[in-house]
Amino acid sequence: MRLMSVGLAAIALVAAGFAHPAAAQDTVAIPSFVEETAGAGIDSVYAGEWEYMAGGGVATFDCNDDGFPDMLLAGGASPAKFYRNTGTRGGALRFAAQESGLELDKVTGAYPLDIDGDGIADLVLLRVGENAVMRGLGNCRFERANEAWSFDGGDAWSTAYAATWERGADWPTLAIGNYIDRRQETSPWGSCTDNWLHRPGAVGGQTQHRFAAPLPLTPSYCALSMLFTDWNRSGTPSLRVSNDREYYEGGQEQMWHIDPGEAPTLYSEAEGWKYLRIWGMGIASYDLDSDGYPEYFLTSMADNKLQTLASTPPGRPEYKDVAYAKGVTAHRPYTGGDVKPSTAWHTQFEDVNNDGLVDLFIAKGNVAKMPDFAAKDPNNLLLQGKDGKFQEAGDKAGVASVAISRGGALTDFNLDGLLDLVVVNRWENAQVWRNTSRNAGRWIEIGLKQPGANRDAIGAWLEVKRGSAVMRREITSGGGHAGGRLGWIHFGLGNSEDAEIRVQWPDGEWSQAYPVSANRFVIVDRTKPAADYWHPE
Amino acid sequence: MNRRVAALLMVAAMAWSGALDARAAPPGEILRGWYGLILELVRHTPTYSPPVASRSFAYLGVTAFETVATGSDELQSLAGQLNGLQPVPQREAGQAYDEAVALQAAMAFAARNFFENTGPTGQRAMAALEKKLRAQVSAGLPADVVARSEAHGKAVAAHILAWSRGDGGAVVENMGFPLRYELTKGPAHWVPTSLIAQQQYPLLPNWGKNRSFAMPDGGTCALPAPPEYSEDKDSEFYKQALEVYQTKNGLTPEQRDIARFWSDDPMLSPTPPGHWISIALQILERDGAGLEKSVDVLARLGVATADAFIGCWNAKYRYDLVRPVTYIRRVIDPKWEPLLITPPFPEYPSGHSAQSAAAAVVLTQLFGENFAFRDATRRSDGLTPRSFPSFWAAADEAAISRLYGGIHFRAAIERGLEQGRCVGAFANALRTRR
Repeated sequence: MRLMSVGLAAIALVAAGFAHPAAAQDTVAIPSFVEETAGAGIDSVYAGEWEYMAGGGVATFDCNDDGFPDMLLAGGASPAKFYRNTGTRGGALRFAAQESGLELDKVTGAYPLDIDGDGIADLVLLRVGENAVMRGLGNCRFERANEAWSFDGGDAWSTAYAATWERGADWPTLAIGNYIDRRQETSPWGSCTDNWLHRPGAVGGQTQHRFAAPLPLTPSYCALSMLFTDWNRSGTPSLRVSNDREYYEGGQEQMWHIDPGEAPTLYSEAEGWKYLRIWGMGIASYDLDSDGYPEYFLTSMADNKLQTLASTPPGRPEYKDVAYAKGVTAHRPYTGGDVKPSTAWHTQFEDVNNDGLVDLFIAKGNVAKMPDFAAKDPNNLLLQGKDGKFQEAGDKAGVASVAISRGGALTDFNLDGLLDLVVVNRWENAQVWRNTSRNAGRWIEIGLKQPGANRDAIGAWLEVKRGSAVMRREITSGGGHAGGRLGWIHFGLGNSEDAEIRVQWPDGEWSQAYPVSANRFVIVDRTKPAADYWHPE
Repeated sequence: MNRRVAALLMVAAMAWSGALDARAAPPGEILRGWYGLILELVRHTPTYSPPVASRSFAYLGVTAFETVATGSDELQSLAGQLNGLQPVPQREAGQAYDEAVALQAAMAFAARNFFENTGPTGQRAMAALEKKLRAQVSAGLPADVVARSEAHGKAVAAHILAWSRGDGGAVVENMGFPLRYELTKGPAHWVPTSLIAQQQYPLLPNWGKNRSFAMPDGGTCALPAPPEYSEDKDSEFYKQALEVYQTKNGLTPEQRDIARFWSDDPMLSPTPPGHWISIALQILERDGAGLEKSVDVLARLGVATADAFIGCWNAKYRYDLVRPVTYIRRVIDPKWEPLLITPPFPEYPSGHSAQSAAAAVVLTQLFGENFAFRDATRRSDGLTPRSFPSFWAAADEAAISRLYGGIHFRAAIERGLEQGRCVGAFANALRTRR
């Protein structure tokens, strides 16, 4: 790769295909996606029966330091599959399956995280059985590190994950969400097994580069998504847990106080936490209304939820559901003629048309063959308009797959500034789409780096100012459904030719403002006085 | 019935291997084992709103009753008494049948069919329970007896299933919410109370037209109109709304507990009719009731609550009354919140009140006045069991719980109880003994 100081870059690179910036138009620009699964060489099925009805995640990360995202697809009963990205900038999507050491069976989900702070992505593999932490060795090779890092993988049906670095810690804290007691055959309901909190090990008050024995997060209610998030910008992230009401009794959606050095405690009704019971399956977060606090989209069956704080600044974690008002209930198929309720899984906010307004992707798919729910349940691509409302465009954009989808990721695989899409399907091949939009706006993709532990600045807040608009997002590890991404952080810029970046690092310190040009990859290294432009080889 | 109780019943039904002679397995345990699972399936099958649940409880109860009745000297078939039910297949004279095998086959067949739309976990649980129970009840029996008994049980269950398909309630689409519906205009009438897109039209608007079981039709126990809609502070309508508002705002801990105990939300509980089935099962278990008594209770109770929902829905869509949350926010306090989730259909009368009264009518006849019992249905949801001196005490509490919860006016509760009394009398009039 090549780095160039932002201050030295005199000429902004304008990528081809941006002749009609989206933000210049009154109507929402519909992006174009072309499925390239076969050409990209993807051949991976999320397989298995009852124990794999949930899960099916995908992790995207760069493991050979070429800037192009590689990926691991959960295989369920079959081994997970690793794909090295062999594409070129702006070209067709290309991957090569190769042995990586990650090819474990019984994998339900995968999340990338640089656990040991060596600058190489590691992975957390969620499994039916023992979970695994896999140390990145470089050049896309991985090895089991459960023993080296004292990680107790347990023996459960794991379906959710989130990570944070607690204040002052140089080793991450992992939350693992577990589902049903899979050994309960005739009465599995109410058998939700404990979620776990893997905190750093400590000797004499000093954290060590290994995990302590996991703490049970009791009560647990069959988590299908977890997210460490600083919902009130207090500087201390809390742990949101989205739970599947199909299996719990007396349960609800949860949020835990995870205060350093303290035992986890649940947010209570007295603190303002409202009783909400859904078929919680996935979490996406973004500051949609530019108030400095994240909104949360929660996937479920039939109607989905979009939560925003009832009042700001937030003294209490009271949320109201604005999914109906914003047009994101996504409760049943919008195309294909099936009118039964939908089943939603992975979800992610990203700007797919680079108009400066984040959009919403939802992976849909029947649990198995439930006749009361849509059998042909197209994935959603909901585009945000200037009024903050969303409109469906999955079919027009070309991503309305009716395969039984589970996990997914919007990631710029070919580094052209347009977010591409990968989706994992149950019993069917995974799919990848290249974003070929020619009417998209400008963009910027940012990499955050800081020294020591937490190299990728998980927990930071990133602000991008374009004109008078400020876009904000929290840098998290977790959420979605059974998979996540690590790498370039994308912002659409509309027709702005430049922008200004600011970072609130995980310890709360604000960076200076970095002026940058559009259509660039930018690395903000906390140790450097200026941001660097990066160019793919 | 809570999950522990349900699980214990299933475990008990499956624990006859080993030292115990499998042939000692009483058919009543088969009944309770299946009902334990069925209560879970009701909770975990998305189409199972309370009316739909009541329908299945009725058919399941009749299935069990008729299967046992064909081999009983005591029981009188309900064929010819329940609307449209033709005589069920009879046993071959002079041939040996096993009651447990026949009942197991009938319940397995009925459960598989009434819950054919449940999810993969329910399917797996049904298959596992059937496999285990079938092995246990047939162990040591001559093969021809097993085959004959199973065939008979299935034949009876298939007969009931075929009867069920013509009642108007067999097909439930979009979880019961119509895809098109014209709301009645005017402030007195129901409007959506939630921001759930699926619930912008009311639940099962034609349910009141379904074929009823024991009463002649859905309009049999018709009700007078509710108080006339008015926003005048001196009007009865306003006063009843104010009562809901003030009661909810000043709830005592006891009233709050009562509201939650009887909330019986679909997908989060066995639903109101399942709550009463659970009460009956707990009593039958506690008292070691015999098979004939058990199937009599379950059939009558199922029929009574199913008819109550048909009658109630008939009235709901006749009057199409606005919910308290809508009126109170419009007229009294725009920020008011009820304690319970307001159900997505018209207000008058209260369904829980009607079906609880129908249940009390039936259970009082079967067990007697002032029959004390303890109800642990919601224990696994963290709700403390409650004790009642009589079925009517429980029904009255269930009814008033809807006012505490802020989802019904007093008129809907009181008239709902009256409607349930009327409906329950038809179930009581069924002749189940020879």
